[in-house]
Amino acid sequence: MNADASPGDFESGLKPLWLRAQSGDAAAYRLCLELLAARLRGFFKRRLVGLPDAVEDLVQETLLALHLRRGTYDPELPVTAWVLGIARHKLVDLWRRRGRRDALHDPIDDVAERFLAVDPEDGGAKRDLDALLRELPPAQQRAIVLTKIEGLSVAEAATRTGASESAIKVQVHRGLKRLAARVRSVDPT
Amino acid sequence: MRTDTLIELLARDAGPAPRALAARRLAPAALAGLLASGGIAVTILGAIPAPMFASHVPWTKIAYAGALALATGWLNARLARPAASADAPRGLALAVFGAMVTLGAATLWAEPAELRLSALLGQSWKTCPFSVLFLSLPTLAAALWALRDLAPTRPRAAGAAAGLLAGSIGAIGYALHCPEAAIAFVAAWYTAGIALTGALGAALGPLVLRW
Repeated sequence: MNADASPGDFESGLKPLWLRAQSGDAAAYRLCLELLAARLRGFFKRRLVGLPDAVEDLVQETLLALHLRRGTYDPELPVTAWVLGIARHKLVDLWRRRGRRDALHDPIDDVAERFLAVDPEDGGAKRDLDALLRELPPAQQRAIVLTKIEGLSVAEAATRTGASESAIKVQVHRGLKRLAARVRSVDPT
Repeated sequence: MRTDTLIELLARDAGPAPRALAARRLAPAALAGLLASGGIAVTILGAIPAPMFASHVPWTKIAYAGALALATGWLNARLARPAASADAPRGLALAVFGAMVTLGAATLWAEPAELRLSALLGQSWKTCPFSVLFLSLPTLAAALWALRDLAPTRPRAAGAAAGLLAGSIGAIGYALHCPEAAIAFVAAWYTAGIALTGALGAALGPLVLRW
């Protein structure tokens, strides 16, 4: 499936992949996030005409939010509708943080039409997630670096740090949560 | 950090998504709130006399508020998810409310005309809604806290839903203290307290449910 499939095809291709991702298939999850990132970039680019620099930051912010809240996905719903709900929320949040009100008037319902644009080109984020990662509390930072960047398994990271496996998982989750919160409070542009 | 790198970071070893997250966050919040409001009602306000538990007095209230708590709990679970429809739980909550108002009006109608007003107002109509509001505060805090970890994209509606759930649970707690017997009283003043908490939740939602 291509990222530039029509909205209906995109959903029917994405859904089985997403369900596999939800049940723990990391490769399927990575592919879903890549496909969604291209759609999100197109979606935000068309809505942030005056703020092109904010597009990639918002894509990254939305991906983080999707990841942290993926337990709220309900298989009865189209994946695109769920993702778009979060993307719109992030857009409204950005406008609010920048003191603009009522900048957004498009209705929520016509999901398919609004998820048409695709943009695989990473325009470069202004906000430095690496730097924000380094500001996390040491235990959270270490758990993320070991499991997510160095690619150790949770068990290996547990042996390396002397923490339990569930403690490592908790630290990773808390660290990403804190990262997402920090991302909202640091506006780079 | 490039977006590819972030995706790699998120996907690596991600494991399965947590299941039934909304229920797992909201149910403990509601339960903790119920214990808190029941505890405050019994210890600080004082429980109704024990023999009254053999009558319909507390149980009508608990049944009404409990049914509302289930409907509004469901409403919270829906509003905690992007794109999920809230129509069914909203309809259920309105149906419960409608049934209680109908029942209250019918019992009031059966009373002699000169007793109707005193049945409706009871002894405590002025304080009842505020007591319900007070007893719902622990649940309101817990429910808003739970919603912050979920994904409410309509913060005002989700805040109102949290308030209505909290109000319903506060009303269950208040039923342990309140000796009023008229169904019309419950339909009017308990509902007023629940609505008041709903309004508080709606005011807090946009401030608290930012993510």
